[in-house]
Amino acid sequence: MLEVENLWVRYGTVEAVRGVSFSVPAGSIVSLIGANGAGKTTSLRALTGLVKPGAGAARFESRSLIGLAPHQVVSLGIAHVPEGRRLFPKMTVLENLTMGAYRRSRADVASTLTMIYEHFPILKERGRQRAGSLSGGEQQMLAIARALMSRPKLLLLDEPSMGLSPIMTAEVGKIIRQINALDVSIILVEQNAMLALTLAQYGYVLQTGQLVMQGKAQDLLRDEGVKKAYLGL
Amino acid sequence: MTFALFVQSAIVGVSLGSIYILMALGLTLMFGMMHIINFAHGAVYMLGAFVIYYIFFQGGAPYFAAFVASMILLGVFGYLVERSIYRPIKGGIEPTLVALLALTTFLQAAGYPVFGQLDKHVPPVFPGTRNILGVGISVERLMIIPVAAALVIALYLFINKTRLGAAMRAIEQDKEAAALQGVNVHVVNGLAFAIGFALAAASGALMAPIFKLDPMMGEQPLLKAFIIIILGGLGSVPGAILGGLMLGLIDSIVATALGAEPAFLLSFVFIIMLLLFRPTGLFGYAS
Repeated sequence: MLEVENLWVRYGTVEAVRGVSFSVPAGSIVSLIGANGAGKTTSLRALTGLVKPGAGAARFESRSLIGLAPHQVVSLGIAHVPEGRRLFPKMTVLENLTMGAYRRSRADVASTLTMIYEHFPILKERGRQRAGSLSGGEQQMLAIARALMSRPKLLLLDEPSMGLSPIMTAEVGKIIRQINALDVSIILVEQNAMLALTLAQYGYVLQTGQLVMQGKAQDLLRDEGVKKAYLGL
Repeated sequence: MTFALFVQSAIVGVSLGSIYILMALGLTLMFGMMHIINFAHGAVYMLGAFVIYYIFFQGGAPYFAAFVASMILLGVFGYLVERSIYRPIKGGIEPTLVALLALTTFLQAAGYPVFGQLDKHVPPVFPGTRNILGVGISVERLMIIPVAAALVIALYLFINKTRLGAAMRAIEQDKEAAALQGVNVHVVNGLAFAIGFALAAASGALMAPIFKLDPMMGEQPLLKAFIIIILGGLGSVPGAILGGLMLGLIDSIVATALGAEPAFLLSFVFIIMLLLFRPTGLFGYAS
């Protein structure tokens, strides 16, 4: 579904991503793990047009993503939940959700909203509340739900567990599985490698902008190097 | 100061404040979304007034048609400025400010050969006075108030009730997040330029029958609008409205009582005092 080949991204003089390649088969959860500054976030930002890659190819359902603006990428069926959630804090929960469906017709929005409320009943309850007043966990739910409002085929999740309690993190994990069960493919970027590799079928390990290891998630979980460096075992 | 004089200058103050509000709203909208100060706002006000001079006075079209034409022409100009100046600079704030300053200087300098060296006058559109609480008020000045109010309400409804308005609010809060929801940020920024320019043109068009026209006529209202958006809190719409009314009243009442220079001075004293106690302005918030 998504093929990324030899991606390079430079911030000023720093090469943040150096020749990274990965692929996402349709219907799967793929995770990118690695320490802070490994280039995970930058890779996602390059896919959705927030930064321009210096070199490399990225094809989604055989269409090139390189050179597209973010709003064009959304139209192709890719939704990106950025690091730090990036909600519209002064808008209500409902307004945030409606923004997620910005490029879709009003009739579509109503039916998607019904579906979203089934998975996230708390968001229906909080509909008229300002997004900025929600708890961290609720904000993460809203950020994911907002992205789903565009009815994506591929969802990019950047650090969904960041700043959440272990209970909330488990809750987010459950939600990610549910979304995937709806036939949405997922790229999960996480510093919490345990969470990422438990959810994903396949994993890539990034280090200072380069791919250092890849494999089935269950194999990576058993790998001594990964255990030491990323699982704290 | 007699009661009659007070009533008269208060109403003139609200009328003047309405013009300031229209100027400040566009500035604050553009600042909120793009963090730029549109130095060209005064020059656009001037062009808005000259459109009235040529289409209404010289061309003989109805005033209302000329007023709408002024807003549309300069709104389109605003979109083109976004397209040709702001967009190629790619969000660089300082280069944008310099470019807008250059545009201002160009428009003002070009005004003299194009419009002529002599001041222009537009004849009254609503001549005569109306008796309010026993005081005669110029109908021309009175008419500004409902027209400005209608424009403010229209802008409010647009920003709060439409999809494009929601996109503008989204960009104001988080430009990247807005883009990730599918907002074409360039087009919506262009729309903000168009709205800001159209409102400045409306201000100039409303003032054309009251003041003399010359290429530098926009400097004074531009300065007032700067004061207002700082007073009200940068990026705040309610702040721009309250600040505009306050400054209009100070300008009119103090100028009537003490003269124009003390009024000018007092408006700065007022803003310095306010910023001492509320550095973010009336409705501003620390970012």
